[in-house]
Amino acid sequence: MSSDPNALPPNDERAAIAEGEAASTEKRVTAELTEVSGRPRSLASDAFRDLRKNPIAIISAVIIVILVVMAIFPTLFTHKDPTDCALGRSLKPPSSEAWFGYNFQGCDIYARTIHGARASLMVGIGSVIVVAFIAIVLGMLAGYYGGLADAIIARFTDIILGIPLLLGAIVILSGFKNNSNMWLGLLMVIAALGLLGWTSAMRIVRGSVLSARNQDYVQAARMLGATNWRIMTRHIGPNAMAPVIVVLTIALGSFIATEATLSFLGIGLKPPWISWGGDIADATARVRNALGPVLFPSSFLALTVLAFIMLGDAVREAFDPKLR
Amino acid sequence: MKKRAVWCALAVLPLTAAALAGCGGGSSGGGGDGVISVGIGEPKSLFVTSVGETEGHQVIMALYTPLVRYNDNLETELAAAESVTPSEGNKVWTIKLKDGYTFHNGEKVTSDSYINAWNYGAYGPNAQDLNSYYSKIDGYAAINPTDGSTPATKTLSGLQKVDDLTFKVTLSAPYSGFMTTLGYTNFMPLPSVAFNDPAAFQNSPIGNGPFKMKGNWQHDQLIQVEAWDGYTGTKPKVKGVDFKIYQDAGAQYNDVVGGNLDVVKTIPTQQIANAKKDLGDRYGQTPSGSFQGLAFPVYQKDFENVGVRRAISMAIDRDAIVQTVFANSAVSARSWVSPQFPGARDNTCGEWCNYNPTAAKALYTESGGLPNNSLKISYNADGGHKEWIDATCNQLATNLGITCTGNPVPKFADLLTSLSKKEAVGMFRQGWIPDYPTMDNYLEPLYSCDAAPQPNYSGFCDKTFDEDLAQGFAAADNNAAIPHFQAAESILAEKLPLLPMRFGRNNFGYSDKVKNVTIDLFYELDLLALETK
Repeated sequence: MSSDPNALPPNDERAAIAEGEAASTEKRVTAELTEVSGRPRSLASDAFRDLRKNPIAIISAVIIVILVVMAIFPTLFTHKDPTDCALGRSLKPPSSEAWFGYNFQGCDIYARTIHGARASLMVGIGSVIVVAFIAIVLGMLAGYYGGLADAIIARFTDIILGIPLLLGAIVILSGFKNNSNMWLGLLMVIAALGLLGWTSAMRIVRGSVLSARNQDYVQAARMLGATNWRIMTRHIGPNAMAPVIVVLTIALGSFIATEATLSFLGIGLKPPWISWGGDIADATARVRNALGPVLFPSSFLALTVLAFIMLGDAVREAFDPKLR
Repeated sequence: MKKRAVWCALAVLPLTAAALAGCGGGSSGGGGDGVISVGIGEPKSLFVTSVGETEGHQVIMALYTPLVRYNDNLETELAAAESVTPSEGNKVWTIKLKDGYTFHNGEKVTSDSYINAWNYGAYGPNAQDLNSYYSKIDGYAAINPTDGSTPATKTLSGLQKVDDLTFKVTLSAPYSGFMTTLGYTNFMPLPSVAFNDPAAFQNSPIGNGPFKMKGNWQHDQLIQVEAWDGYTGTKPKVKGVDFKIYQDAGAQYNDVVGGNLDVVKTIPTQQIANAKKDLGDRYGQTPSGSFQGLAFPVYQKDFENVGVRRAISMAIDRDAIVQTVFANSAVSARSWVSPQFPGARDNTCGEWCNYNPTAAKALYTESGGLPNNSLKISYNADGGHKEWIDATCNQLATNLGITCTGNPVPKFADLLTSLSKKEAVGMFRQGWIPDYPTMDNYLEPLYSCDAAPQPNYSGFCDKTFDEDLAQGFAAADNNAAIPHFQAAESILAEKLPLLPMRFGRNNFGYSDKVKNVTIDLFYELDLLALETK
């Protein structure tokens, strides 16, 4: 019996091993909890750890970083002037000189595509800031105070929700089509998207505020005499933010897509802005004779939107372990 | 009030290529039953004294017979008129009608049919689009008070009935070209029933032409006409025409390629490159009188300096735009009157319209340039103008070192409104299709002081120019008038209120069910020549 190689160690030995394992697990847990700042890990840092291991999140983040660099320093990617156009080069195919070829007006498609990132990201980020502000303020008020405030805000949200984003933006922008200042034009697009696109983010804020409101730590803070402002900003706010970040990341992608649609329709960004949507619109009339001018800005647009939506999805998974 | 109507002719190009999705009529392409389908845009009106644009004009020419027609050499030929005779000095014109013409409803066409129609059109309170077209007839001012009051009389004192088939037209000043103008829509006759309820009448107009209405005008969808048995003039070779109404020239083109439409009068420029491939020998091209230019609002300080205007003109490579953007479906313009017209001369613009970027840049700098070195070019987005405006802007940016942006205004009407309010729209595009074949039709409406602010939107006003025109009108005949009109055109070359860009050509396509498709200088499809195979 004792010669059996698979035989288990005697009982007392097994107990000792178990004890040792338990001790080392305990140490590891403590080490993990105190990792980084030495404080216990928060939900966010937990989520961040998950994200670092998620290939989709890494790919999306890399794409987004490249796009942001592209938007801030387009000249790192191309030395060509995107507004240098000559009919003599019209629709020339890709070459070593112009990687994506030339569009109908004889402008370098590569240079225009690179420079187009700026307008898209500015609209996307700008609209998300507007949306975040409106959603957090209204969601917090509705969720925390409830009652009449909640009812009024809920009805107001229903009204805005009843206006499709694209249709509403078209209506707003067609009303202000005659402004010629390029920055004003950009603000109009941001405002149109921001003022109409906050509804789902607001509902999510309201929901998570509602669930946080009755948590013990909030009750405790209230017992200790904390003001509503303090409870909202210090206790509820940080704990309700995670799902909002997720929604906003995904919304950023869809705002960029909507901006391209508006520019395609001729009421979004106008020249001198270089916008993917505008370039796609210009190229569609001749798509039968030249595919490149449609294909390249479209691919960049699709990739950008996809990157934000995929990142948003990954962030949601990381924050919500139940989805795993 | 006076010149309000003329801009309708200007609306022609945008109308033919409006930008929204198509919505053609339900029936399939004609041909089998001798009926031909023709694509048009929704007409503004079918009441002859209000038809100032090409889409309605095409339908009116099926339903009515004008007093005179223009042949291929642009000579004026008699149609419904037996004779048109001027008095000594071209002030009183006697018009004798051919006997035997009746309206579709059986009413006889008499002098009264003309006199009543013209009086109706000229009477200010009726607010007809072609009101200003009667302005040379004596008594026009009396029934068009400028202060908006109700006129004391309702009729033109210059129109006098002699007998049932003869009437006299007295003009307020001698006008040698009056007979030539008689071919335009406003000089058609109307049956007495027309005046009872003009709004209802125009939904089913009754005319004296080779075709009569078949059913009512189905707005935004279809206008059907059929050959009329009672017609005494040259009869058409087809049994009828279905005018299918589209909002988009691109949709018309696709329907012709797909066999659902027989004639598309304008192939969109983007499709010209593949039209030969799509249609083969069913792609046709004929000369057109249409003219495209870029106008300066000369009332605006930025453009006051003629040196800047000349520099901009020299920095534009017209040939490159025509070749690339229009695939040679148009011709570069270096003068203000279409080369097909009597009296037109080549290159009256001279050195200012020759592409010379070096001289342009030097002149631009020397003249002080534009404020902030920036330029805006406004255009209507519904007319397919973006590509050539952008190309022009790119050339100006490169050659003059300025920033230039195209400023699309959604609709043609919006651009006209901005212009009449004298808003700072920058340069703007202006197009023109003449109404009758005399060269003054390119000059007077667009540049005379009287025609400002519309359709002379650039606000150009020059005494000598107006005097030259007046001398031309007073000349003994059309030929004697030409040197005066040419002198007027030379003033444009010197002052450059508007840069000539292109003379158009008609680019049309048709199905394999029709033949003998031709479109004339006035953008009119010849319905009498049209045949089914």
